[in-house]
Amino acid sequence: MDTIKIAIYGKGGIGKSTTVANLAVAFAEQGLKVMQIGCDPKADSTIYLHQGQPIPSVLDLIRNKGNDFALNDMVTEGYNGVLCVEAGGPTPGQGCAGRGIIAALDKLAEKGAYEQYKPQVILYDVLGDVVCGGFAMPMRDGHADWIFIVTSGENMAIHAAANIATAVQNFQSRGYAKLGGLIVNRRNVAREMEKVEELAEDIHSRIVGVLPHSPLIQEAEEQKATLMEAFPKSDMADCYRQLAGQILAVCREE
Amino acid sequence: MNQASRLLSTYTADVSGVCSALYELGGLTVMHDASGCNSTYNTHDEPRWYDRPSMVYISALKEIDAIFGGDDKLIRDIVETARQLQPRFIAIAGSPIPMLIGTDFSAVAGVIEQQTGIPTLGLATNGMHDYLSGISMALCALARRFCHTPVATVGSHQPSVNILGATPLDFSITGNIEALCQAFQSNGYEINSCWAMNSDLDQLANASAAQINVVVSSSGLALAQWLKAQYGTPYFVGIPWGKQGAEAYFHALKQTLTSGQDGCFYTGIASQSSGKQVLIIGEAVNASSVKAALLLQKGWGNIQVACPFVENTSLLDAQDIALQDEKQLRQLMEQADVVIADPLYRRFRKNDKAQIFVDWPHEAYSGRIYRQQIPVLVCEHFDLWQKGWLKVK
Repeated sequence: MDTIKIAIYGKGGIGKSTTVANLAVAFAEQGLKVMQIGCDPKADSTIYLHQGQPIPSVLDLIRNKGNDFALNDMVTEGYNGVLCVEAGGPTPGQGCAGRGIIAALDKLAEKGAYEQYKPQVILYDVLGDVVCGGFAMPMRDGHADWIFIVTSGENMAIHAAANIATAVQNFQSRGYAKLGGLIVNRRNVAREMEKVEELAEDIHSRIVGVLPHSPLIQEAEEQKATLMEAFPKSDMADCYRQLAGQILAVCREE
Repeated sequence: MNQASRLLSTYTADVSGVCSALYELGGLTVMHDASGCNSTYNTHDEPRWYDRPSMVYISALKEIDAIFGGDDKLIRDIVETARQLQPRFIAIAGSPIPMLIGTDFSAVAGVIEQQTGIPTLGLATNGMHDYLSGISMALCALARRFCHTPVATVGSHQPSVNILGATPLDFSITGNIEALCQAFQSNGYEINSCWAMNSDLDQLANASAAQINVVVSSSGLALAQWLKAQYGTPYFVGIPWGKQGAEAYFHALKQTLTSGQDGCFYTGIASQSSGKQVLIIGEAVNASSVKAALLLQKGWGNIQVACPFVENTSLLDAQDIALQDEKQLRQLMEQADVVIADPLYRRFRKNDKAQIFVDWPHEAYSGRIYRQQIPVLVCEHFDLWQKGWLKVK
């Protein structure tokens, strides 16, 4: 099977990393080899896949060792065999995080990460909005084929999602990734589903899954684990499994 | 595509202007840029590079420094270098990469100064403006930092002047600045300081002692205005090119000195609509002074200056032109009977042997290529240069 390459975008703080890490485990449960690449200078996308212990980011390795490091220095195997990578980036307020993502993803490809590990699913967890070229890198040709946007019914989340959808649309002529759909991470605000459905209609897309608000997610984080690891038999874990199935279905449509 | 330069070269950028202005003053100048990107500076833009040492460095910015900001490394490297070399001051000038990543040069300079105790100037150049902007920025920063209020001295019999905006990028090292200073002295003026050739930092710091400031390129205007605001010193714009030009020049300069009102040598020396059409391409003050020198002679009337720097046009006469693009220049050159310009402009020479093209090399444009041909134009030197091409008029 061809590698399924997915980038997850959405407003900052909307729950992208939590969703991506749980999806990674859900895909792994299906026997798929999964690589999760955090594209955020904070380098904490995969943290609950390895008991809350930070891993060296690609950019830290480049900064400290030049090119004198191995592929497995960049890739750490986490829970359920999920391959964890963190792009990393500058300290807040300095440098260029967007350029950092480009350099990190280039280095990953240069070191042969995709050929060596042969992941069947690659998940790019991208920081916030598409504010510059660097944040569009995961949707460029050779990276993700599909974009999914995490949103709630909160107005700011919807505005960010609409903005990201516009960026995806603008890049269609370049053969960049296609918009797969919206993932609703519920915050239980008024008219939540109605507002997200309106958004889906406006951007000519669809809702591929709905994640209810669950206190178990925070409990799992207290245990420095994903919900899929800490509460695998919970209803919420089933929600992630169901979402993983729906995403795979979308990606296999074409 | 009108704004693209398809045939012509470009003038050197602001960062080279900074380095040129500060070259002789004993400072440590650091261009914050990738190594290699600024080699044009020492190979083309700086004629003093091989004969006169100066502490000009490149930070050798790498991609990873751009990603991480690299401020700490930049600061560490400069502090370490400054501790070894003990410069009079430190200047850091930017390039396109720091501009894109938003490097705060003023803040970086502050940290360096705190750590070294050496006055440090943060100059937010970005390589996208012309060299005149860089010179102007550097000279003004120096003045704000080092100029002090006049110290009461025994009055001199002769008035003294500061020459503002003199760098090899506009005047080369072929003798123009020396001849210029000589001309002032011959006409009864003392040179208080020259910003910034053949003067040291202490002389510049004492600029407030001069009775008048003379702006010899548009890069000196902002400094003249600052000195006026700070010390009330009037300024006079222009260069005494040509014998007749020099006579008129020093007459007008004296009026400015007496009245205390700012003046300009070439304003009011109007061009005529008849006669051969002459086009002079160059920096506003320099080219306008050549125009004035010609207009003051018999037989020259229809002269226009075309200035390739749209950012530095405030010193152009109303009838002269700030060039927008190659297309406009091509049209102007086609209409001209005589073109006075850097030899690189010959590419646009009209396919007509009747047109006279006078080579007037400009270091900021063609670098070292035609340096040996750069003429001295002060006072009578101009007339000698002119004789070379006048016979074909």
